[in-house]
Amino acid sequence: MRDQIEKYSGKLLADRSALPGRIAFAAQDDVLISDGAPDLAELAGATLSRLNALALVAARPSLPFADFLIARSPKGENCILPQDTETRTFLHDIPFLRKGELGDDPAPKIAVLLGNRKGVIVEGVGIVTLGAITVEQAFINYSSVFHSTFVKYLQDVLAEGFLLPGEREAFQAFRDQWLRPLSASGLVFRDKLSQEKDEILSEIEAVGRYTVERGLVDSFFGNISACAGDLIYISQTAASLDELKGCIDPVPTDNSSTTGITASSELLAHRKIFEQTGARVILHGHPKFSVVMSMLCEARDCPIKDCWKDCPHVREIGGTPVVAGEIGAGGLAKRVPPVIGASGSAIVYGHGVFTLGRMGFGEAFAALVEVENFCREEYFRRLEACMLPDEHKA
Amino acid sequence: MHGWTGKILHVNLTDGSCRREEIPTELLHAYLGGRGLGVRLMRDFFRLDPFDPEIPLIFAVGPLCGTTSPTSARLACVTRSPLTGTIYDCSAGGRFAWRIKAAGLDAISITGKSAQPVFLAIDDTRAEILPAGALWGKGIKETVASLKERGSVTAIGPAGENGVLFANIMMGEGNSIGRGGLGAVMGAKGLKAITVQGSGVTGVADRERFDAARADVMRLFRASPVIFGELGIAEYGTPALVDLMAQRRMAPTENFRSTFFAESGNYSGPSIRRECGARKEGCYGCPIQCKKSSDKGEPLPEYETVNHFGALNGNSDLHAIVRANTLCNELGMDTISAAATLSAFGEARGRFPDPAEVASLLWEIASRRGEGELLALGSRRVAQELGKPELSMSVKSLELPAYDPRGAYGMALAYVTSNRGGCHLRAYPISHEILRKPVPTDRFSFSGKARIIKIAEDVNAAVDSLVACKFAFFGATLEEYGELLSAVTGVEYGPESLKAIGERIYLTERFYNCENGFDRADDALPERFFSEAGSAGEGIDVPPLDRVRFEEELQKYYRIRGLTTDGTFTDPSFLEVLP
Repeated sequence: MRDQIEKYSGKLLADRSALPGRIAFAAQDDVLISDGAPDLAELAGATLSRLNALALVAARPSLPFADFLIARSPKGENCILPQDTETRTFLHDIPFLRKGELGDDPAPKIAVLLGNRKGVIVEGVGIVTLGAITVEQAFINYSSVFHSTFVKYLQDVLAEGFLLPGEREAFQAFRDQWLRPLSASGLVFRDKLSQEKDEILSEIEAVGRYTVERGLVDSFFGNISACAGDLIYISQTAASLDELKGCIDPVPTDNSSTTGITASSELLAHRKIFEQTGARVILHGHPKFSVVMSMLCEARDCPIKDCWKDCPHVREIGGTPVVAGEIGAGGLAKRVPPVIGASGSAIVYGHGVFTLGRMGFGEAFAALVEVENFCREEYFRRLEACMLPDEHKA
Repeated sequence: MHGWTGKILHVNLTDGSCRREEIPTELLHAYLGGRGLGVRLMRDFFRLDPFDPEIPLIFAVGPLCGTTSPTSARLACVTRSPLTGTIYDCSAGGRFAWRIKAAGLDAISITGKSAQPVFLAIDDTRAEILPAGALWGKGIKETVASLKERGSVTAIGPAGENGVLFANIMMGEGNSIGRGGLGAVMGAKGLKAITVQGSGVTGVADRERFDAARADVMRLFRASPVIFGELGIAEYGTPALVDLMAQRRMAPTENFRSTFFAESGNYSGPSIRRECGARKEGCYGCPIQCKKSSDKGEPLPEYETVNHFGALNGNSDLHAIVRANTLCNELGMDTISAAATLSAFGEARGRFPDPAEVASLLWEIASRRGEGELLALGSRRVAQELGKPELSMSVKSLELPAYDPRGAYGMALAYVTSNRGGCHLRAYPISHEILRKPVPTDRFSFSGKARIIKIAEDVNAAVDSLVACKFAFFGATLEEYGELLSAVTGVEYGPESLKAIGERIYLTERFYNCENGFDRADDALPERFFSEAGSAGEGIDVPPLDRVRFEEELQKYYRIRGLTTDGTFTDPSFLEVLP
């Protein structure tokens, strides 16, 4: 398990979701081991030893958003409700412990919360998440909490502005230093994807890596496919986009085989998109600014409450249609295919972005970058517009 | 009290008495229901021989039964297995479980032995023991048809009456209480059937919380490709696994001599749909509807059954497999053990039975005539009798299902640590080793598997006590089911507290088994898996299992469980500290 700890510590650094030197894992087989920053490793071990699970990560996120969310929460509240549909589906809510509640030994309290949820935010300490059966699962849950708090914080700031001392400065540092430009430049794609299995698999694997390496998505948030004659090659469920080798299912378009039962939960959406658009490839990810912006709806007095699944309207962000729909066998597979053909991209409310390539992945990747860049710019444009009156007052 | 009724019906077939009693609330809170409650109720009886008239045959529902909690119209049947000698439980879905709860009961415990064949009729207030002489010897369909006016029916067929060691108890709607021969225990008591009808409604403590938790579960079902994906079990039933197991090179073939059957496509999910006009069926109230029936309404075989009457016996004739499944259902026999016993018999004599012979042998087994007299004892006793004990592909005498352990090392470990013998459902590592749920694990590695199997056994013991279907956990987790349970009962439960309950149940079962003489020597896989390779192909090698690593991992498992190196308990008073 030490190799797994090393691997996923590396991933937390590579995706810049945790601060260097502030990462620790604990894992238990017949013995309990912990590794990483000594104080966090001790906390991780002490917490995991109280739980019937295999692994745990405790790490300080690279952004202070989770702590800000706690500090912004009214007194008496003890959890954050994720707003994006993907993490809400799997996490439900994220409990937190305030600094004042920790005492000398926070491990028992953290363990109690992790006895009911996959992750917890501990103010001043970081994000602590559980892996019920693997180290990787602890990493995935950390990524989910990081993603969820990122999205919610950006939403809250846009809606309510900065409320805390130091918040504005931290946010500016995030904008100036943490965020990096997104682009496809320097990446190599095949102009026209052939029908050859090996070429298709190798291209899907490369594109998966690119999306993670370029910071478009965290590694578990998305799926990729290519259509080749009577087959759809699609990434498997619970596959890491930057490790797709051996994790791509060939699925017959006529469903004559069920080998693809392990394919992504979005297989149906991919199939319908291929059928209705004639595209060769599909790229789907959960880039954060697109997720944030997709939930920004200006309709007032709308009777729809569960917008993420019930909204029948097609909105637009920078020419990209936005539709609602649950993942998997929910409504997403019905609502995306009819709208994606014209622009080559579509955003699903609170979820993520689908893009197409008519010939190969270059077009799909560029479209994903373009959508996310537009959403990022639009987010900051709106935020600045909101902030202007305050600036003038100052 | 919400969720539970707090009542058990004690039936004594020897003296003909039936009485309702209270179940202590602390036992319900500590063991939930279903498997947990049944196992706890066996505490004073687990040493009895399975055919001792005084051994209880327990039917127990769970606190979610009777509500609209997805997949929870289920029960567990618990006693000691005549096939394995272990404590035994089996989870089964259907209207019967729901009606037990509606009749105001959490459990029915049947002891004694009737001098004449009888059936038990239960309603809201009464329980009667009535003559069943006219039904003795009848098949399941006729028995159910004769009694259906009295409500939901569960019954044994000729196999149970005749003491076949893998006889099932069959539910009226086609579900079965399978594997360990509990039908033979029922038959030994002279009990042909049980009917139940009730009109009670299960109360829910917090309706708003319940609705939210239910919506969360359903959302996760829709997000799961295994459940509601277009290639998933809702569409194709468990035969959706046929193609996958073939591709993964781990479909047991010809008594596990190989792991790939070139003609398995004949009975794949899509083939069954095409050839049999498969339509959706399922347990009562279940949204998944993974069971399939033919266009004539005949229940169609599950994955285990198609593989074992197919590849395991070298047979690719789908319609013959369907007939064998139908015959087993009608005679009240477990399909896995029946097919695996025929397969061991086939290898021992040098010829696997052809479809016509399969049918005649199944009849002979159920009636214990001809070669059926021996075959009715299951593969271990058959192979031993034929002088080739190594040909029984079983653990603790329970025939292995259709996942070759050479293709999934967690499965290899889980087969031997299962408290009811060679069963895939105790820890269900196929979920992560093959189906990638909740996350994938390396199927060709033992690393971490001891802990993973232990955790999964605890989880599934809790699931079997709720009682919910394990297939629900291809999408949902104990987080959501803990919410459902808390909302229904008004008692707070979460994943960790449920796993603690599961651990208590698991260890209780293990303790019972150890007290009855089981130890490390029984936690053993057939030698074939350590000495013969499976079928390589598509870039996949299936080498023999590494015995050293297997034993290492088993010892790790014992340490994690707090057991001795022999797999036993250090504290003989272990049960005394439990509720």
